[in-house]
Amino acid sequence: MSIKEKGYTHWDGKLKKMKFPWKPITQCGIKLTFKKKFFKFSFFLTLVPALIYLAGIYASEKIEDFSFLTRDTDTLSFLKVDPKYFSSYFTSDTLLFMIILLMVFCGAGLISDDLKYNSLQLYFSRPIKKNDYFMGKAAVIAFFIFIVTLIPGIVFIVMKLIFSGSFRFLASFPWLIFSVVGYSIFITTFFAFYTLFLSSLNKNRRYVGILIFGLYFFSEIIFGIFFGIFKSKYFALLSIEVNLQQVGAGFFGQKPVYDIPWILSFLIITMICILAAIVLKRKIRSVEVVK
Amino acid sequence: MNPVIQTDKLSKWYGNVLGLSDVSIKIETGITGLLGPNGAGKSTFMKLMTGQLKPSIGKVLIQGERARNNYTLFSRMGYCPEYDVFYDELTGWQFITGMLKLNHFSSPDVEKNARKAMEIVELMQDKDRVIRSYSRGMRQRLKFAQAIAHEPEILLLDEPLNGLDPLGRRKLIQLIKTYRDEGKLIIVSSHVLPEIEVLTNKIVLIHQGKIFAQGDIHYIRDLIENHPHMISIICSNRRKLASKFIKEEYVLKVEFGKVKNRVTIETNDRDKFFSSLPSVLRKNDIEVEEITSPDDNLQAVFDYIIGK
Repeated sequence: MSIKEKGYTHWDGKLKKMKFPWKPITQCGIKLTFKKKFFKFSFFLTLVPALIYLAGIYASEKIEDFSFLTRDTDTLSFLKVDPKYFSSYFTSDTLLFMIILLMVFCGAGLISDDLKYNSLQLYFSRPIKKNDYFMGKAAVIAFFIFIVTLIPGIVFIVMKLIFSGSFRFLASFPWLIFSVVGYSIFITTFFAFYTLFLSSLNKNRRYVGILIFGLYFFSEIIFGIFFGIFKSKYFALLSIEVNLQQVGAGFFGQKPVYDIPWILSFLIITMICILAAIVLKRKIRSVEVVK
Repeated sequence: MNPVIQTDKLSKWYGNVLGLSDVSIKIETGITGLLGPNGAGKSTFMKLMTGQLKPSIGKVLIQGERARNNYTLFSRMGYCPEYDVFYDELTGWQFITGMLKLNHFSSPDVEKNARKAMEIVELMQDKDRVIRSYSRGMRQRLKFAQAIAHEPEILLLDEPLNGLDPLGRRKLIQLIKTYRDEGKLIIVSSHVLPEIEVLTNKIVLIHQGKIFAQGDIHYIRDLIENHPHMISIICSNRRKLASKFIKEEYVLKVEFGKVKNRVTIETNDRDKFFSSLPSVLRKNDIEVEEITSPDDNLQAVFDYIIGK
């Protein structure tokens, strides 16, 4: 039948709504991350701090089997499993470094690769909203960060209960699980915005990786220089790492390392996220323009 | 019958640069060729239709609905961009299935539709190879597969025949024509005139962001009244034929080409020429082997319209 005879029929079907339209973007992002060279080894490396802390929980319950450790007071205080123990894990320099390492592998190419391969036009010519796109990309970051934050945090609590054989620990610190969940979400949100923002700045994922590393440590260096010159603790607010640690201390009810209200650090991190969101929205729109 | 695609005073600027200016057209089902040189505004027009760009002025209506941010509408449209849009690390199969998932297809449908699309473009055997290892033609076919996999009613193909070998080109042209016969609307953009010519007679000429002409190739040709038409005739007595026509006021030029027995007559009134030709041939007992219009093709129309 020729087209002129057939005419046109309007589509009157109903589009099946997906609960999570961003899920395919996340699945693709995770799949591609595992295909990267050296990622599996680096991923295993990021789990090492969690394994050490897990061993610490076991040792704290079997302290009589580890009597050689009790001679050292530092080790003994480390083996005391309480909110401080959790805080020290979540705010440790090592964990934050591992997260940055993860971001270089899983986050650097998230948007920059789409810019490089012109994929944005394919995403946005489908029933995908811009927010779904961001959500899909952020979920890739969340997936990897939760593996080193939220999941170990919950495993620590569960293992503590199993090793101790009672619910006393949970009864003593009922809010701890909320701190673990809350801080994990906070840190994930920050790194999602931080990484996606930097990833949208360049088409080359290697440059983005350098930026992710560089900006993080540059803020630390700037803090060190100003603190060295002016001796003011408030310059700690210039450091991304310190701000995350200050907020972490706040979440776990611990005394912050620097005697500054942790809420200031919380505001700074929130501001960074808002700025990143604004830039992201503009950047993604601008690349739709045909060159 | 309402037009499937309708634009009204559609304009788009990129800062001070004009992308598209005051475009008001109606597009019906079938194949419409969007023709223009590089940078004419074809891709801008495509992106406005797929709702990826916001018009500076005017509107685009597809099936009576605004295109911009109309996510339901996007599931009825298939878009094949001009440039490669792949993650090289993915296999062809992963790419197609991923695209179908973005179209909210359920898992069994993803499998079914991906298989069908890959079979149509004859990439099923290579589905598990990474895209990095695909040839240019294979990539082009894969790009086409993602545009048709979700069975859209509207297909927007931006330079779809780029990079294809003659056989692949022929197959894809045949495939596009099949979609036309199914009652779909297909817009094919190209700067290569013969490509459009074999696909459709319905064309939109676009240049410097403006629509120069729209309609049937012959209709456009007729619009150009002052433009001389060339008629080439191979006959038994070309000198006699030339002598009969040279005195007519509607004949501008007569030329004897290198080809034996060929005479090319240039006229500013094709209708008059063709109405008097049979009687001249009959009266003078001239046998005709071939009559062609060497400039009755898109290239000639296009060159004339854009003032080359």
